Amino acid sequence: MARIIVVTSGKGGVGKTTSSAAIGLGLALKGHKVVLIDFDIGLRNLDLIMGCERRVVYDFVNVINGEATLNQALIKDKRVSSLSILPASQTRDKDALNKENVGKVLEELGKDYDFIVCDSPAGIEAGAMMALYYADEAVVTTNPEVSSVRDSDRILGMLASRSRRAELGLEPIKEHLLLTRYSPKRVEEGEMLSVEDVEDILSIPLLGVIPESQAVLKASNAGEPVILDTESDAGQAYQDVIERLLGETVDFRFLQAEKKGIFSRLFGG
Amino acid sequence: MADANIEFKGSSFTLSVLHLKTPKLIDIKDDLVKKIAQAPDFFSLVPVVVNIEQLTPPVDYQTIKSLIEELNFTFVGFTGSVDKEQRALIRELGFSFVNTAKANTSSQSTNAQKQSVKETDNRAAVSQSHLYTDKVHRGQIRSGQQVYAKDQNLVVIGSVSAGAEVIADGNIHVYGSLRGRAIAGAKGHHKAQIYCQNLEAELVSINGNYWLSESIEEHWGTPVYIHLNDNELTSSKLI
Repeated sequence: MARIIVVTSGKGGVGKTTSSAAIGLGLALKGHKVVLIDFDIGLRNLDLIMGCERRVVYDFVNVINGEATLNQALIKDKRVSSLSILPASQTRDKDALNKENVGKVLEELGKDYDFIVCDSPAGIEAGAMMALYYADEAVVTTNPEVSSVRDSDRILGMLASRSRRAELGLEPIKEHLLLTRYSPKRVEEGEMLSVEDVEDILSIPLLGVIPESQAVLKASNAGEPVILDTESDAGQAYQDVIERLLGETVDFRFLQAEKKGIFSRLFGG
Repeated sequence: MADANIEFKGSSFTLSVLHLKTPKLIDIKDDLVKKIAQAPDFFSLVPVVVNIEQLTPPVDYQTIKSLIEELNFTFVGFTGSVDKEQRALIRELGFSFVNTAKANTSSQSTNAQKQSVKETDNRAAVSQSHLYTDKVHRGQIRSGQQVYAKDQNLVVIGSVSAGAEVIADGNIHVYGSLRGRAIAGAKGHHKAQIYCQNLEAELVSINGNYWLSESIEEHWGTPVYIHLNDNELTSSKLI
């Protein structure tokens, strides 16, 4: 049975789609069969980040409405053959999804794939609820900033009460904290919440800390998920995330501000 | 066994008793509608016993019942210390007449006396808070969630997040950080207390007296209990 992972946050703009793309591609690079689903109906972005926007013919809503088959709508990634993307519809809104049909699509996908990664829309309305309803695990994407932490807290409440697992009284959704846009320097200067602060407030296990990085924007614009940029710290941090999702224990990196050496001080590095 | 399928057992229930002070149905309806508007969910389908002892016969029982049902209560029956003839009449008309323990023992007492009995009853209920049972919540209470321990103490094994709300008619114990709102003694109980291992609350309130986070200075970020001292909120170190 496939593991259904929802990437969610409550707040918008914290890096859900970036993280979904990185996690999806990262798991596929490890040889797993992965499908990435864009639940942000009406604000289709995942295909852009994945660089497959020009190959979208049918979308998730078409499949839900029976206007296309899953195979017609799924886009095979050109880089990794074990990865497929199910894009959102740009012309519809979030009411186009319903629990029953989403459940059928997920069940169908579960037969062929090892991982189903659901990229949730922001907010706590129907669209976000739909994305988290069938999840087995949740990657709660949070920026080290009070409003983002509070919204993540709200979403954690929803995961525990509004999901299928909660409704049926099954084992609760496995929650992971993914801290993105982390800047150790600003933490040291007291401008940003630290990893410990966020862990203390949300009290869920830490899956990863992605440092604030120029590489992320560059990767998004190029349609190449940042995890492929193995030179960048953000790319490496996402690779650690994949290891941890697969059950490995990996030390956390990029938590300390880089100490400037004598040369960089002299030459203003 | 012949009676394996059924069993009769005596039980006591809490029922709302509606005391009618006027025979004018229009006035009664007006007041009821206002009352319901204050808490529509609370009153919806609530079982009601109608006390008619302050009405002088003849009383239009059928219309009273219809009015009660029209306003979405569940009509149970009539009660009150009335004479035998009236009681018989009520039963003859097909309504149930509910005897209360009080009506039986003090059926001849005056209204004033009853009023005082009722008041002491209420007070007794409130001060018996040490008899409150505990409602135990395991795990964190997240932003946007609300937990109410009705007629109970609330024990939270975990933290209460900012934006969450915990309410109890008795005491509140938080074995974690209290960052949200905590309202103890919600029904009016001046001996209620709030305990927590780390006080960073948005609001704490006991019996209607409250502090916002900005007025919590002394014990911020420490293990603390909060209680009323001469109707003034006071915080004291827990350890």
